[in-house]
Amino acid sequence: MTPDPLAIEIARIPAGNPPPPRARFRTPLSEVLWVRFGLIAIAVAFLALMLALPLAAVFAEAFRRGVEPFLAALVEPDALSAVRLTLFVAAISVPANLLFGLVASWAIAKFQFRGKSFLITLIDLPFSVSPVISGLVYILLFGSYGFIGPWLIANGYQIVFAVPGIVLATIFVTFPFVARQLIPLMEQQGTAEEEAALSLGAGGLRTFWSVTLPNVKWALLYGVLLCNARAMGEFGAVSVVSGHIRGKTNTMPLHVEILYNEYNFVAAFAVATLLALLALVTLVLKSALEWRYGGELAASGRH
Amino acid sequence: MRGYQNEDAIHRAPVRIDVEELGKSYGSFAALNNVSLTVRPGELLALLGPSGSGKTTLLRAIAGLTATEEGTIRFDGEDATTLSLRARRVGFVFQQYALFRHMTVFDNVAFGLRVRPRGERPRAGEIARRVRRLLELVQLPGLETRFPSQLSGGQRQRVALARALAIEPNVLLLDEPFGALDAKVRKELRRWLREIHTETGLTTIFVTHDQEEALELADRVVIMRDGEIEQIGTPVEIYEEPATPYVCEFLGGVARFEVTATEGEARVLGSQLPLAEADETYSGPALAYVRGHEIEIVSRDIAEGVPALVRNVRPFGPAITVELSIEGHRDRIEISVPRELFEGGEIRIGQGVFVRATSARVFPSPKADARP
Repeated sequence: MTPDPLAIEIARIPAGNPPPPRARFRTPLSEVLWVRFGLIAIAVAFLALMLALPLAAVFAEAFRRGVEPFLAALVEPDALSAVRLTLFVAAISVPANLLFGLVASWAIAKFQFRGKSFLITLIDLPFSVSPVISGLVYILLFGSYGFIGPWLIANGYQIVFAVPGIVLATIFVTFPFVARQLIPLMEQQGTAEEEAALSLGAGGLRTFWSVTLPNVKWALLYGVLLCNARAMGEFGAVSVVSGHIRGKTNTMPLHVEILYNEYNFVAAFAVATLLALLALVTLVLKSALEWRYGGELAASGRH
Repeated sequence: MRGYQNEDAIHRAPVRIDVEELGKSYGSFAALNNVSLTVRPGELLALLGPSGSGKTTLLRAIAGLTATEEGTIRFDGEDATTLSLRARRVGFVFQQYALFRHMTVFDNVAFGLRVRPRGERPRAGEIARRVRRLLELVQLPGLETRFPSQLSGGQRQRVALARALAIEPNVLLLDEPFGALDAKVRKELRRWLREIHTETGLTTIFVTHDQEEALELADRVVIMRDGEIEQIGTPVEIYEEPATPYVCEFLGGVARFEVTATEGEARVLGSQLPLAEADETYSGPALAYVRGHEIEIVSRDIAEGVPALVRNVRPFGPAITVELSIEGHRDRIEISVPRELFEGGEIRIGQGVFVRATSARVFPSPKADARP
């Protein structure tokens, strides 16, 4: 087989200068490698130092002497009483704030009225006030030298340094969580669906149950989750009104503090692991909600 | 009002709506100002106007969604002003459809039947049968289990309509029914709404800001401005005899000339044209509105027209579109000329021609009018 003469001719043509290597294109929003990795490393180091390490320390301290002292600290009567009280307080304050938050955000998002922005400011108040002040307010109101305290005490109602005070302070501190979650979402959704339901002949209550509530259910759950985490973990306000009576008015965070002040580190951290676990469960549920129902939570500002 | 028990609403006698001296204000802003209107039984009526003209307020007032301060609304002569939303039994299609986002198409359409008081509520089987029939009517069979987020805009619109029809309404009200759809779907749904209207025979009112939509679809058109009715008429009446300068400008496609009227006549673009009959003795400043097809290019020999300059020529389509600058008129005007004239070489870009108005609507200037 004879080679094609034309092909030989072409092969003889000297190859010209190779084209200059094309500068690699980088998207304008990207950075060079070392900057990217440097920034990531800083962030990871910071997170490890400030978040992961303390969390690990809680568990390490709790199990320092092994599993038995850890379990012993948990089943000790005062600890059990603190757990029971914390659950009790959350069981009252979370449903209460679920109800208040739902009603308040419904009123704010769906109706126009005078003093609306003042109401929104009021709802935000607990976020901007120091929890210690929130507790002191109740002492001023219900304490033995307070406004209505003497009368209540004379009639046999002990509010401050008792469970009612703790519940009140917790409700106050956790008040904004549900409402803050719902207001932006409800405002974004508007009132058109409610109007549609009413024009189709539904009554007010039916409209609320079958249109308004289902539209916000995931945001509501999200708000309840955050509210619950705070209700169980609240320290400042509760510390002021509780009186720190062991086995009676001690919640879990207060119990941790007392044990720590008594140099009973294993017990303190053992109870603290329960709170840490609560935080982890909350985080997992919260992430699951965001992952699954992100769109339906989208209008609300994340905490 | 018709009995709530009546099952086959879609074939009942259609309802007449009387709106009498309706007034509504938001603070110092008058959304509706002394509006009176009769909607004939079985009519397809368009409320047309720019945003803020009160058309949606009027529609919502008829539905009972917005309370009014003055006036009366009657359905078949009976006062409905104080009736609740439920008792008015109005099929309302919302601008953004307002479908229940957490319910399937089936549940959306069935909602109005399921919320009826126990005694009037159809059985589950009957509800399913009716929902299926309605979805066939709106040409969406087989989509029962979809959620609104899984539907296209046009499909949502159809579901919203089926849901409104499910309650066997006295009247059907649609707020900007095609506002959120793209142009192609709009045209398609327009024809389809007309068909639905014929099929159901319901007295139907829809709100739009698109004059083409209103003129093409409606039996009669109500043009609104600043909370008042500017003109009511059939599409032909509105197009051929716009009652006011405002209507002319809102319908668009016109060139406006400021002229002087003498004894009920004015000289517009080389022609002596009459004012409307009511103004046959009027003398003074006037406004003349001329549509593109009412301007003709006249031959230079006659030369009684007004000089104009050809700016652009679009030589495609059934007629040739020519863009002109006319002497003494600021805006360019598009007119249609016969193909022969163009092919005869008379029309070239940059060439001077003479034009003349064949007809025009001439009104006394609004300054002379009582209205500010």
